[in-house]
Amino acid sequence: MKMPDVFNFRHGVQNKDLNSTKSEKTIKRPNGTERHNLPGHSHNPFAAYSYFPDHLKFINADPEEEIILLLRKHPITNIPWISMAFVMIITPAIVSVLSPFSLLPPGFQIILTLLWYLITTAFVLEKFLSWFFHVNIITDERIIEVDFINLIYREITDANIDQIQDVTVIVGGAARTFFRYGNVVIQTAAEVPKIEFEAIPNPDSVARILRDMRIEEEQEKLEGRVR
Amino acid sequence: MEVFNEFTPTFLVAIKIAIWLFLILYILFAGVVLKQVRVMIETLEVGFERPIRIIAVFHFIISVAVFILALIIL
Repeated sequence: MKMPDVFNFRHGVQNKDLNSTKSEKTIKRPNGTERHNLPGHSHNPFAAYSYFPDHLKFINADPEEEIILLLRKHPITNIPWISMAFVMIITPAIVSVLSPFSLLPPGFQIILTLLWYLITTAFVLEKFLSWFFHVNIITDERIIEVDFINLIYREITDANIDQIQDVTVIVGGAARTFFRYGNVVIQTAAEVPKIEFEAIPNPDSVARILRDMRIEEEQEKLEGRVR
Repeated sequence: MEVFNEFTPTFLVAIKIAIWLFLILYILFAGVVLKQVRVMIETLEVGFERPIRIIAVFHFIISVAVFILALIIL
């Protein structure tokens, strides 16, 4: 049964009947500057959701591979560490009036204060870099998770689109419902059986794009156009 | 209760050594951050590499500067 067009077009993604779109892509590829007008496209390097991002490059990318979606955790997830950093910034002002610290020689007070701000900087840097570089990428061939768990540990997981077996969207809790972010759990037939996109914005759109990518991949297989 | 009104010289020397050791470790940490930022940028480019690299270098320079300042002041 063919669905009305109103159900088939969303976020620049078009679902069409498999038999009638032999040479067409399920996800419409923008040409040149067309991508700038797509919903979800962003020029902000801090964007948590960027549809057909402009300047994204990642390690081990195939030259022909096209990046469809860049995702990272919703910015709201940074609030706890930003609050903590704020408390750390104002702490010296409070501690300086307390007895043991104020009894130290002035040189010690200056260095200890600087030391505290160095620790604060380290904390902010570590949290920011972990957020900024922990990304999920969907290309036309695979899904990739780049995770810098901390400053000395990185993990890069990928799975081909045709290895995706099941996609689950999990949105729970008031904050997640209000700010529209959640987890997308992807079961795969790859070596890593589960890839989880954590706290990403618009998880439903992401799941839809993944579904369309799978349809497109199957279509390519049927037509013998698999790379 | 005894009123605590000053630190003994031995205690201050202990604090001084602890601060210096901590700052040496911090410089090593800042070096690791510098290296790790380079690795992260090689792994992923999103168009914000230059400012991040500058922040990491600046952080390293500041940590060395604080160590030198600690050697002078303490």
